[in-house]
Amino acid sequence: MTREPVPWDTPGPLSGPIGVPLVDLLDRVLATGVVVSGDLVIAIADVPLVRVSLHALLSSVSERVPAPWPDGGPL
Amino acid sequence: MTQRASGPADRATYVFAVARTLDPAVVADLDGMTAGEPVRLLPLGSLVGVVQSVPAHDFTDDAWQQRLSDPQDLERCARSHNEVVSASAAHGPAVPLPLATLYLSDARARQALEAEADRFHAVLKRIAHHAEWGVKVYSPPASPPAGAHRPAAAADRGRPAPGAGLAYLERKRGLQLRREQHHEQGLRIAEEVDAALAKLATAARRLRPHSHRPSDTQGSQVLNATYLVAEQRSHEFAELTRALRGRTGASIEISGPWVPYSFVSEV
Repeated sequence: MTREPVPWDTPGPLSGPIGVPLVDLLDRVLATGVVVSGDLVIAIADVPLVRVSLHALLSSVSERVPAPWPDGGPL
Repeated sequence: MTQRASGPADRATYVFAVARTLDPAVVADLDGMTAGEPVRLLPLGSLVGVVQSVPAHDFTDDAWQQRLSDPQDLERCARSHNEVVSASAAHGPAVPLPLATLYLSDARARQALEAEADRFHAVLKRIAHHAEWGVKVYSPPASPPAGAHRPAAAADRGRPAPGAGLAYLERKRGLQLRREQHHEQGLRIAEEVDAALAKLATAARRLRPHSHRPSDTQGSQVLNATYLVAEQRSHEFAELTRALRGRTGASIEISGPWVPYSFVSEV
Protein backbone atom coordinates (compact mmCIF):
# COMPACT_ATOMS: atom_id res chain seq x y z
CA MET A 1 0.00 0.00 0.00
CA THR A 2 2.76 2.37 -0.85
CA ARG A 3 1.31 5.41 -2.43
CA GLU A 4 2.90 7.41 -5.17
CA PRO A 5 5.37 9.85 -3.64
CA VAL A 6 4.55 13.45 -4.43
CA PRO A 7 6.96 16.35 -4.49
CA TRP A 8 5.44 18.05 -1.47
CA ASP A 9 6.42 15.02 0.60
CA THR A 10 9.87 16.53 0.72
CA PRO A 11 10.74 18.21 4.01
CA GLY A 12 10.66 21.62 2.36
CA PRO A 13 8.83 24.49 3.98
CA LEU A 14 5.10 24.27 3.65
CA SER A 15 3.62 27.58 4.57
CA GLY A 16 0.24 29.14 4.10
CA PRO A 17 -3.07 27.79 3.06
CA ILE A 18 -2.12 26.64 -0.41
CA GLY A 19 1.04 24.88 0.63
CA VAL A 20 3.27 26.82 -1.69
CA PRO A 21 6.41 28.41 -0.24
CA LEU A 22 5.91 32.15 -0.39
CA VAL A 23 9.39 32.82 -1.67
CA ASP A 24 8.81 30.57 -4.67
CA LEU A 25 5.47 32.17 -5.24
CA LEU A 26 6.96 35.66 -5.24
CA ASP A 27 9.68 34.50 -7.61
CA ARG A 28 6.90 33.85 -10.06
CA VAL A 29 4.01 36.23 -9.54
CA LEU A 30 6.22 39.27 -9.20
CA ALA A 31 8.95 38.69 -11.70
CA THR A 32 7.31 36.67 -14.45
CA GLY A 33 4.17 36.42 -16.51
CA VAL A 34 3.24 38.06 -19.76
CA VAL A 35 3.74 41.77 -19.39
CA VAL A 36 1.30 43.69 -21.53
CA SER A 37 1.72 47.42 -21.36
CA GLY A 38 -0.57 47.71 -18.41
CA ASP A 39 -1.90 50.91 -17.06
CA LEU A 40 -0.12 49.88 -13.91
CA VAL A 41 2.38 47.08 -13.56
CA ILE A 42 4.43 46.73 -10.47
CA ALA A 43 7.53 44.69 -10.07
CA ILE A 44 10.20 44.44 -7.47
CA ALA A 45 13.83 43.40 -7.39
CA ASP A 46 15.80 44.63 -10.38
CA VAL A 47 12.81 45.83 -12.34
CA PRO A 48 11.42 49.31 -11.84
CA LEU A 49 9.14 49.40 -8.85
CA VAL A 50 6.15 51.03 -10.36
CA ARG A 51 5.55 51.90 -13.95
CA VAL A 52 2.55 53.69 -15.31
CA SER A 53 2.47 53.18 -19.00
CA LEU A 54 2.51 56.04 -21.43
CA HIS A 55 -0.58 54.61 -23.08
CA ALA A 56 -2.50 55.11 -19.89
CA LEU A 57 -1.32 58.64 -19.47
CA LEU A 58 -2.14 59.51 -23.05
CA SER A 59 -5.59 58.05 -22.89
CA SER A 60 -6.27 59.49 -19.48
CA VAL A 61 -5.71 62.97 -20.80
CA SER A 62 -8.97 62.76 -22.65
CA GLU A 63 -12.16 63.19 -20.68
CA ARG A 64 -13.16 59.73 -21.88
CA VAL A 65 -11.07 58.13 -19.17
CA PRO A 66 -10.55 60.40 -16.20
CA ALA A 67 -7.34 59.60 -14.35
CA PRO A 68 -7.93 57.93 -11.01
CA TRP A 69 -4.67 59.35 -9.71
CA PRO A 70 -4.73 63.06 -9.01
CA ASP A 71 -1.13 63.67 -10.02
CA GLY A 72 -1.05 61.24 -12.91
CA GLY A 73 1.24 58.78 -11.15
CA PRO A 74 4.99 58.89 -10.69
CA LEU A 75 5.91 59.79 -14.25
CA MET B 1 -8.04 65.45 -5.14
CA THR B 2 -11.22 65.62 -7.14
CA GLN B 3 -13.56 62.89 -6.04
CA ARG B 4 -16.10 61.63 -8.49
CA ALA B 5 -19.25 60.27 -6.94
CA SER B 6 -19.37 57.20 -9.11
CA GLY B 7 -17.80 56.75 -12.46
CA PRO B 8 -15.37 54.59 -14.33
CA ALA B 9 -12.49 56.18 -12.46
CA ASP B 10 -13.58 54.57 -9.22
CA ARG B 11 -13.04 51.14 -10.65
CA ALA B 12 -10.00 49.64 -12.22
CA THR B 13 -9.79 46.34 -14.05
CA TYR B 14 -7.35 43.83 -12.64
CA VAL B 15 -6.28 41.10 -15.05
CA PHE B 16 -5.15 37.72 -13.75
CA ALA B 17 -4.76 35.57 -16.82
CA VAL B 18 -5.73 35.07 -20.43
CA ALA B 19 -7.04 31.80 -21.87
CA ARG B 20 -8.69 30.53 -25.02
CA THR B 21 -11.94 29.56 -23.42
CA LEU B 22 -13.01 29.19 -19.86
CA ASP B 23 -16.06 28.15 -17.90
CA PRO B 24 -17.09 31.22 -15.85
CA ALA B 25 -18.07 28.94 -12.98
CA VAL B 26 -14.42 27.95 -12.50
CA VAL B 27 -13.44 31.37 -11.18
CA ALA B 28 -16.80 32.76 -10.06
CA ASP B 29 -16.45 31.62 -6.46
CA LEU B 30 -12.99 32.97 -5.90
CA ASP B 31 -12.36 36.12 -3.88
CA GLY B 32 -9.62 37.43 -6.11
CA MET B 33 -7.91 40.61 -5.02
CA THR B 34 -10.84 42.15 -3.25
CA ALA B 35 -13.79 40.44 -1.68
CA GLY B 36 -17.26 41.46 -2.83
CA GLU B 37 -16.50 41.79 -6.50
CA PRO B 38 -16.86 38.72 -8.68
CA VAL B 39 -13.95 37.37 -10.64
CA ARG B 40 -15.36 37.32 -14.15
CA LEU B 41 -14.45 36.74 -17.76
CA LEU B 42 -13.80 39.49 -20.24
CA PRO B 43 -14.21 38.40 -23.87
CA LEU B 44 -11.23 39.44 -25.99
CA GLY B 45 -12.10 38.34 -29.47
CA SER B 46 -10.65 34.86 -29.82
CA LEU B 47 -9.48 34.90 -26.23
CA VAL B 48 -10.94 35.52 -22.82
CA GLY B 49 -9.41 37.43 -19.94
CA VAL B 50 -9.91 36.58 -16.29
CA VAL B 51 -10.54 39.92 -14.64
CA GLN B 52 -11.97 41.60 -11.60
CA SER B 53 -13.16 45.13 -10.97
CA VAL B 54 -11.27 46.59 -8.06
CA PRO B 55 -11.58 49.94 -6.30
CA ALA B 56 -9.05 52.17 -8.00
CA HIS B 57 -8.05 53.94 -4.80
CA ASP B 58 -6.91 50.63 -3.30
CA PHE B 59 -4.66 49.92 -6.22
CA THR B 60 -2.76 53.11 -6.87
CA ASP B 61 0.98 52.85 -6.96
CA ASP B 62 1.18 54.35 -3.47
CA ALA B 63 -1.10 51.60 -2.22
CA TRP B 64 1.10 49.03 -3.93
CA GLN B 65 4.27 50.46 -2.47
CA GLN B 66 2.74 50.13 0.94
CA ARG B 67 1.54 46.63 0.18
CA LEU B 68 4.93 45.51 -1.00
CA SER B 69 6.51 46.56 2.24
CA ASP B 70 3.96 44.69 4.32
CA PRO B 71 4.86 41.01 4.12
CA GLN B 72 1.42 39.82 5.21
CA ASP B 73 -0.43 41.94 2.73
CA LEU B 74 1.99 41.01 0.00
CA GLU B 75 1.54 37.34 0.78
CA ARG B 76 -2.24 37.68 0.69
CA CYS B 77 -2.07 39.40 -2.69
CA ALA B 78 0.39 36.94 -4.14
CA ARG B 79 -1.67 33.98 -2.98
CA SER B 80 -4.95 35.46 -4.21
CA HIS B 81 -3.39 36.17 -7.56
CA ASN B 82 -1.96 32.68 -7.81
CA GLU B 83 -5.24 31.13 -6.70
CA VAL B 84 -7.15 32.71 -9.56
CA VAL B 85 -4.39 31.97 -12.06
CA SER B 86 -4.21 28.33 -10.98
CA ALA B 87 -7.98 27.93 -11.17
CA SER B 88 -7.99 29.46 -14.64
CA ALA B 89 -5.32 27.05 -15.79
CA ALA B 90 -6.87 23.96 -14.24
CA HIS B 91 -8.83 22.93 -17.32
CA GLY B 92 -6.65 24.14 -20.13
CA PRO B 93 -3.71 26.41 -20.74
CA ALA B 94 -3.90 29.93 -19.39
CA VAL B 95 -1.30 32.65 -19.65
CA PRO B 96 -0.59 34.20 -16.27
CA LEU B 97 -0.03 37.92 -16.03
CA PRO B 98 2.24 39.31 -13.35
CA LEU B 99 0.86 40.53 -10.07
CA ALA B 100 -0.83 43.92 -10.35
CA THR B 101 -1.59 44.19 -14.02
CA LEU B 102 -4.26 46.87 -13.94
CA TYR B 103 -6.22 48.81 -16.48
CA LEU B 104 -8.36 51.84 -16.01
CA SER B 105 -11.41 50.13 -17.43
CA ASP B 106 -12.62 47.00 -19.19
CA ALA B 107 -12.38 48.83 -22.49
CA ARG B 108 -8.73 49.73 -21.88
CA ALA B 109 -7.97 46.16 -20.85
CA ARG B 110 -9.61 44.79 -23.96
CA GLN B 111 -7.77 47.23 -26.15
CA ALA B 112 -4.34 46.40 -24.69
CA LEU B 113 -4.83 42.64 -24.48
CA GLU B 114 -6.40 42.22 -27.90
CA ALA B 115 -3.43 43.98 -29.42
CA GLU B 116 -1.28 41.15 -28.07
CA ALA B 117 -3.56 38.34 -29.21
CA ASP B 118 -0.96 36.78 -31.51
CA ARG B 119 1.52 36.60 -28.70
CA PHE B 120 -1.03 35.08 -26.37
CA HIS B 121 -1.89 32.41 -28.91
CA ALA B 122 1.78 31.55 -29.40
CA VAL B 123 2.31 31.29 -25.66
CA LEU B 124 -0.81 29.18 -25.19
CA LYS B 125 0.44 26.80 -27.83
CA ARG B 126 3.79 26.55 -26.12
CA ILE B 127 2.54 25.89 -22.62
CA ALA B 128 -0.33 23.58 -23.49
CA HIS B 129 0.02 20.32 -21.54
CA HIS B 130 3.05 21.64 -19.74
CA ALA B 131 3.67 22.61 -16.15
CA GLU B 132 6.46 24.47 -14.49
CA TRP B 133 8.59 22.83 -11.80
CA GLY B 134 10.90 24.79 -9.58
CA VAL B 135 14.14 23.20 -8.42
CA LYS B 136 16.41 24.55 -5.75
CA VAL B 137 19.73 22.98 -4.91
CA TYR B 138 21.54 23.56 -1.64
CA SER B 139 25.15 22.56 -1.41
CA PRO B 140 25.73 19.99 1.33
CA PRO B 141 27.14 21.49 4.51
CA ALA B 142 30.93 21.55 4.57
CA SER B 143 32.31 18.41 6.08
CA PRO B 144 34.45 19.02 9.14
CA PRO B 145 38.12 18.76 8.24
CA ALA B 146 38.95 15.16 8.87
CA GLY B 147 42.40 14.75 10.36
CA ALA B 148 43.54 17.97 8.75
CA HIS B 149 42.83 19.89 11.88
CA ARG B 150 45.39 18.90 14.48
CA PRO B 151 44.15 20.06 17.84
CA ALA B 152 46.85 22.01 19.50
CA ALA B 153 47.82 20.26 22.67
CA ALA B 154 46.97 22.27 25.72
CA ALA B 155 50.48 21.70 27.01
CA ASP B 156 51.84 23.75 24.12
CA ARG B 157 50.19 26.86 25.46
CA GLY B 158 52.58 29.65 26.21
CA ARG B 159 55.54 27.73 24.87
CA PRO B 160 55.18 27.72 21.11
CA ALA B 161 56.94 24.82 19.56
CA PRO B 162 59.36 25.63 16.80
CA GLY B 163 57.47 26.02 13.54
CA ALA B 164 54.16 26.79 15.25
CA GLY B 165 53.70 29.94 13.18
CA LEU B 166 54.22 28.04 9.97
CA ALA B 167 51.78 25.35 11.05
CA TYR B 168 49.23 28.04 11.84
CA LEU B 169 49.59 29.59 8.41
CA GLU B 170 49.28 26.22 6.75
CA ARG B 171 46.19 25.47 8.72
CA LYS B 172 44.68 28.77 7.64
CA ARG B 173 45.61 28.13 4.04
CA GLY B 174 44.10 24.66 4.20
CA LEU B 175 40.87 26.10 5.57
CA GLN B 176 40.67 28.63 2.78
CA LEU B 177 41.41 25.95 0.19
CA ARG B 178 38.74 23.67 1.56
CA ARG B 179 36.23 26.50 1.52
CA GLU B 180 37.01 27.18 -2.13
CA GLN B 181 36.80 23.53 -3.02
CA HIS B 182 33.50 23.25 -1.25
CA HIS B 183 32.15 26.22 -3.14
CA GLU B 184 33.36 24.85 -6.44
CA GLN B 185 31.89 21.48 -5.68
CA GLY B 186 28.55 23.15 -4.98
CA LEU B 187 28.63 24.91 -8.31
CA ARG B 188 29.59 21.67 -10.05
CA ILE B 189 26.63 19.92 -8.49
CA ALA B 190 24.38 22.78 -9.59
CA GLU B 191 25.60 22.44 -13.17
CA GLU B 192 25.17 18.69 -13.11
CA VAL B 193 21.63 18.89 -11.77
CA ASP B 194 20.68 21.64 -14.19
CA ALA B 195 22.11 19.80 -17.19
CA ALA B 196 20.33 16.56 -16.31
CA LEU B 197 16.97 18.21 -15.67
CA ALA B 198 17.18 20.51 -18.67
CA LYS B 199 17.53 17.47 -20.91
CA LEU B 200 14.18 16.20 -19.73
CA ALA B 201 12.46 19.56 -19.82
CA THR B 202 11.05 21.44 -22.76
CA ALA B 203 12.67 24.63 -21.55
CA ALA B 204 14.73 25.75 -18.58
CA ARG B 205 15.37 29.02 -16.85
CA ARG B 206 17.63 30.10 -14.05
CA LEU B 207 16.14 32.35 -11.44
CA ARG B 208 18.19 34.41 -9.08
CA PRO B 209 19.37 32.31 -6.13
CA HIS B 210 17.92 33.40 -2.82
CA SER B 211 20.38 34.99 -0.54
CA HIS B 212 21.72 32.97 2.31
CA ARG B 213 20.32 33.70 5.72
CA PRO B 214 22.30 32.77 8.80
CA SER B 215 19.29 30.91 10.17
CA ASP B 216 19.28 28.52 7.23
CA THR B 217 20.41 25.08 8.14
CA GLN B 218 20.45 23.89 4.60
CA GLY B 219 23.67 25.38 3.40
CA SER B 220 23.83 27.93 0.65
CA GLN B 221 21.61 27.82 -2.37
CA VAL B 222 23.63 27.03 -5.45
CA LEU B 223 20.82 26.67 -7.96
CA ASN B 224 17.38 28.22 -8.26
CA ALA B 225 16.09 27.05 -11.58
CA THR B 226 12.74 26.33 -13.10
CA TYR B 227 11.75 23.93 -15.86
CA LEU B 228 8.91 23.65 -18.30
CA VAL B 229 7.98 20.00 -18.25
CA ALA B 230 5.47 18.15 -20.39
CA GLU B 231 2.64 16.68 -18.34
CA GLN B 232 3.42 13.12 -19.27
CA ARG B 233 7.04 13.56 -18.21
CA SER B 234 6.42 15.05 -14.78
CA HIS B 235 6.79 11.62 -13.22
CA GLU B 236 10.11 11.10 -14.88
CA PHE B 237 11.13 14.53 -13.68
CA ALA B 238 10.38 13.75 -10.05
CA GLU B 239 12.13 10.42 -10.45
CA LEU B 240 15.23 12.05 -11.88
CA THR B 241 15.31 14.59 -9.06
CA ARG B 242 15.31 11.78 -6.55
CA ALA B 243 18.12 10.03 -8.41
CA LEU B 244 20.15 13.24 -8.49
CA ARG B 245 19.59 13.75 -4.80
CA GLY B 246 21.11 10.35 -4.16
CA ARG B 247 23.94 10.75 -6.61
CA THR B 248 25.13 14.21 -5.59
CA GLY B 249 24.33 14.18 -1.89
CA ALA B 250 23.04 17.73 -2.22
CA SER B 251 19.69 18.73 -0.87
CA ILE B 252 17.36 19.28 -3.81
CA GLU B 253 14.00 20.91 -3.28
CA ILE B 254 11.33 20.67 -5.90
CA SER B 255 8.17 22.76 -6.10
CA GLY B 256 5.28 22.53 -8.47
CA PRO B 257 3.42 21.98 -10.61
CA TRP B 258 3.12 25.69 -11.29
CA VAL B 259 1.22 27.47 -13.97
CA PRO B 260 4.15 28.20 -16.32
CA TYR B 261 4.73 31.73 -15.07
CA SER B 262 8.37 31.70 -16.05
CA PHE B 263 7.89 30.51 -19.60
CA VAL B 264 5.38 32.89 -21.04
CA SER B 265 7.41 36.00 -21.64
CA GLU B 266 9.92 34.74 -24.19
CA VAL B 267 7.61 33.98 -27.08
